[in-house]
Amino acid sequence: MTAASDPATSADQPVGLLPADRCGVEVRDLSKRYGDTVALDRLSVSARPGEVLGVAGPNGAGKTTMIKILADEVAADSGEVLIDGEPWTPSIRARGIAVVHQEPQLFPNLTVAENLLVGRERRRVLIHGPNGDERALMEDLGIARFADHRLGSVPLAVQQRTEIARALADEPRILLFDEPNSALTEEESDDLFRRIHRLAESGHVVILVSHRLSELVAHTDRVAIVVDGRCTTVLDGAHLTEDRIARELVVGARGEGRSGASPAETDGGVLVALEGWAHGRGRFGGVELDVREREVVAVVGVEGSGARELVRSVAGFEGATGRLTVAGETGRAAARRTAYVSADRQMSLFPNLTVAENIVARLDREIASRAGVLRRGRAVALGQDARDRFGIKTGTVTAPIGSLSGGNQQKVAIAAAIVQRPAALVLEEPTRGVDVGSKAEIYGLLRRYADDGNAVLMFCTEDAEVFEAADRVHVVSRGSVSPAIRVGDHADVESLAGELARLEEHGARRPQPPIDGSAP
Amino acid sequence: MSSQTQTASTPPASPSIGWGNRVRGAGRGLARVGGLLLAVLAIMALFAVLSDGRFLVVGNLLGMLRYMSTVAILGFGLCIVLVVGEIDLSFANLYGLSGILVAVAWIVWGWPVYLAILLAFGVAVLVGCFNAFFTAVVKIPSFIATLGSSTLLFGFTLLISRSQSFNPTYPPPGTAVDPGQLAFFQGLSNRALPFGLPMQVLWMAAAALVFGFLLARSLFGFRLKAIGGNQRAAELARLPVTRYKFLAFVLMALAACLAALLDFAFIGSIQPTAGQQLLFPSFAAVIIGGASLAGGRGTITGTLSGALLLAVIANGLALLAAGSFVQQMFLGTVTIAAVVLDQVTQRLK
Repeated sequence: MTAASDPATSADQPVGLLPADRCGVEVRDLSKRYGDTVALDRLSVSARPGEVLGVAGPNGAGKTTMIKILADEVAADSGEVLIDGEPWTPSIRARGIAVVHQEPQLFPNLTVAENLLVGRERRRVLIHGPNGDERALMEDLGIARFADHRLGSVPLAVQQRTEIARALADEPRILLFDEPNSALTEEESDDLFRRIHRLAESGHVVILVSHRLSELVAHTDRVAIVVDGRCTTVLDGAHLTEDRIARELVVGARGEGRSGASPAETDGGVLVALEGWAHGRGRFGGVELDVREREVVAVVGVEGSGARELVRSVAGFEGATGRLTVAGETGRAAARRTAYVSADRQMSLFPNLTVAENIVARLDREIASRAGVLRRGRAVALGQDARDRFGIKTGTVTAPIGSLSGGNQQKVAIAAAIVQRPAALVLEEPTRGVDVGSKAEIYGLLRRYADDGNAVLMFCTEDAEVFEAADRVHVVSRGSVSPAIRVGDHADVESLAGELARLEEHGARRPQPPIDGSAP
Repeated sequence: MSSQTQTASTPPASPSIGWGNRVRGAGRGLARVGGLLLAVLAIMALFAVLSDGRFLVVGNLLGMLRYMSTVAILGFGLCIVLVVGEIDLSFANLYGLSGILVAVAWIVWGWPVYLAILLAFGVAVLVGCFNAFFTAVVKIPSFIATLGSSTLLFGFTLLISRSQSFNPTYPPPGTAVDPGQLAFFQGLSNRALPFGLPMQVLWMAAAALVFGFLLARSLFGFRLKAIGGNQRAAELARLPVTRYKFLAFVLMALAACLAALLDFAFIGSIQPTAGQQLLFPSFAAVIIGGASLAGGRGTITGTLSGALLLAVIANGLALLAAGSFVQQMFLGTVTIAAVVLDQVTQRLK
C-alpha cells in the first residue's frame, strides 16, 4: 500500500502520520495477527529527529508487538517502516533501530565491558578490552567504574545504562525505550530521562513507551495513543496533559475513580497484627502494624528501606522474628492464612499451563476428590468463574497463559491467590507494568476482596496507587515503620504524596530503632 | 496431522468452553501421539516389506512388545522426574542393583525370595529419597546428584555381588534355591498367558495405567506440571515442592526396581552391569514422546509410543540382520529427528 493509494477522506488518513516532512522514522500500516488475535491493525506513526515521541496504550493494545517488529523479534504481516523516506528492514543494521528493553536483555555472567563488546568483537582473540570510543561511551554514561564488575552484581540502573551503551555503540538512528525506568528509583529515572533528552537533542529519533502518564507529559514532545492496534490520536502542545492521555486511553472503558472505602466502614476486627516484628537480617525492626477486616493497607518505601521485605515477611517468604497473628493464628500457621503475589509475573505464573490451570493452581480440595483424583471439569468451571468475576480478557480459559496481555496475566496471578480465599492477601506492586485501564480493574478487585471481610496488605511504589487503592498507608524508611496515615484524610494525591515524602525524610533522620521491638 | 487439528478447531468462537474446545484439546494431545503412531505404522510397513513378512509374524510382534516393556516402565518413572523439572541418571544402575540385591539376598544369604523382593523395593525407595534429598533439600542440580549416586550405586552393586552374575536355576556351589520360590519368581514375568501374550506386557499396561493416572488425572500430576513449569512460582504459591520431588524420585526408583525384577525373572539371570545399556533408550523414549528436559511437559501415552517406536526399529533391524552398530546409529538418528520434528510442529503453531 503506497501513499498515493489512499487519497480517501480525512477520516481514512492515518492519524499517526506527519504531513509531507519525510525526515525521521515513519511506520506505515503495520499489521500483525497472532492466530485470531489482531495485535496491530494498520498502525501508522512517525517520529522526527530531535523529538521524543511518547507511545501510550492499554495492555494488549499492540505496543509490545510494535517494539518487537522494530527490534526484528517478530515479522509484520504487512506494512512498512521508512527511515528518512527510505524503506527499512530490520536486517539493515546501519542507521538502524536500537531497543532498550524494560528488563535489560544482557548477559549477567559477563562484565559490564564485556556486555558492551559481545557480538561486536573486532577480533577473535579477546585480549583487547573496549576501545577508545567504547570507553568514552561508558564514561559518558557513568558506568566506566563498573566496567570490570559482573553485570549481575551491579545495580539495576547500571544494567540499564549498560543496555543503553550497547544500543548506542551500534550508532543507531532511532532509539526505542520500552518502559525503561519501571524498575528504577525516582533519582535514577530522572537521570535516565536527562540522557534521553540529550539523545534527542543530538539528532536521534527517540521513542519512549511508558505507562506513567506524568512521565509522558514531562518528557515527551508528542504522545501517540495506541488502542486496539491502531494509533487513535497524537497529542502535543496544550493537549498533552495527563488528564487528556488518561481519557484517550480509556475511551469506551469506565473509569472507577478512587475505590477506597471511607474510614467509618473499616472498623472491623484486626485480621493481621505484627508485634515486635523484626527482619532476620536486620532490614527492618520494631514493627507494630495491623490490618483490619475490610481494609487495604499499603506499605511504601524506597528500594532498600525494608518495605518490600516487610510485606514479604508477612507471607512467610522472608525470615523475621516477633509475633505475627493472622485471623487468630500465629507463627507458621499465620503465614499460611495469607496468599502472596509477587511483583514479578515470572514468579507467579506457570507458563506451561492454561489460563484456567493457572487460576486453580493453588487449590486442592476444590479441584480434586479426597483421593486426589483431579476434577478437570471443576477446574475449568472455576477458571471460567474467575475469568468473569475478575474481568480477565481471554477467548477461552483453556488458552495458554502466554496468549494473554500483561495486564490480564497479572489479573490471573491475583485471581489465583484470591480463589484460595486467604484471610489476608499480600501483594508486591500489584500493578507493575500494567496499563491504566487494568490498574483500575485490579484496584477494584482488591477492594471487592477486602469488602468480603478480608485484609489486603500491599507494597507500593507509586503514590497514585496508594491514593487510589489503599485505606491506610505506612512509610518504611531505613527499616523503621511510620504510624499509619489515613488515605481518606487527603483530598488529592498531591497532598498524600507530600505527607509520604515528609515521613520518609523524617524516618531517614531518625536513628535505627532497636531490633528487640521496644520502640513505641 | 496438524491440518486435521486445524479443521477440528474451527467452531464459532463461543464465549464458554464448549465441546469444540474439549475436542480441540483432546485433538492436540492425540495429534502428538497420533503422529508418532503413524510413524510407527509406516516403519512397521517398511520392515514388513523388507523382511518378506517375517516382521509381521505374531510371535515376533509379541516379542517386540515384551522388549519394549522394560524401556517403557523405566520411561514412565523418568517421565515423572522430567515433568517435575529434574533429571535422573541413576535409574540404570539402580536397575542393576535391584536385580543383584534380590539375587544375593535370595541365593547367597538364603532369604525367602519374597523378602528379597521387598528388600529391593525398600532399597529403591531409599535411593529415590537419597536423590531427592540432594536435589530438593541440599539443592544440588539433579544431573550432578544422580550422576554421583549412579556411580555410587554401581560400586555398591559390584561390592555385594563380588562382580558375579547370578542364575537361580543354577545356584553357585554350596547354595540352594527352593523350587517353589523359583517357580514363583519366574512366574512374575516368564509365564504363558492366553494368545502367547507375554506377562511383562501386562505389567507394562498396569504400570502405564498407574503412572498415566498419576500424571494426567490426579492432583499430584497437575502440581508436578506446575512445579516443573515454574518452581519459584510453585514455592510462592505454597505448593509442596520438596515433598513432590521426593515422590517423583521415589516413583522413578520403584519403576527401575520393577523393570529390573521383571527382566531378571524373564531372562533368568542377572549381572551387575545389567541396565546400563537401558539408560539412553529410556531417555530417548520419553523425549520422543514429547517430554521436555526443561520440565513441565511429558505424558505417559507419549512415552509408551516412544518406547514402541524404538522397539519396532530395534526389532526390525535385528530381523534384517543389520547388526548392533547400525541399530545404535538408528537410535541416535531417530531421537534427534523426533525432537526436531516436535520443535518444528511447536513453532508452526
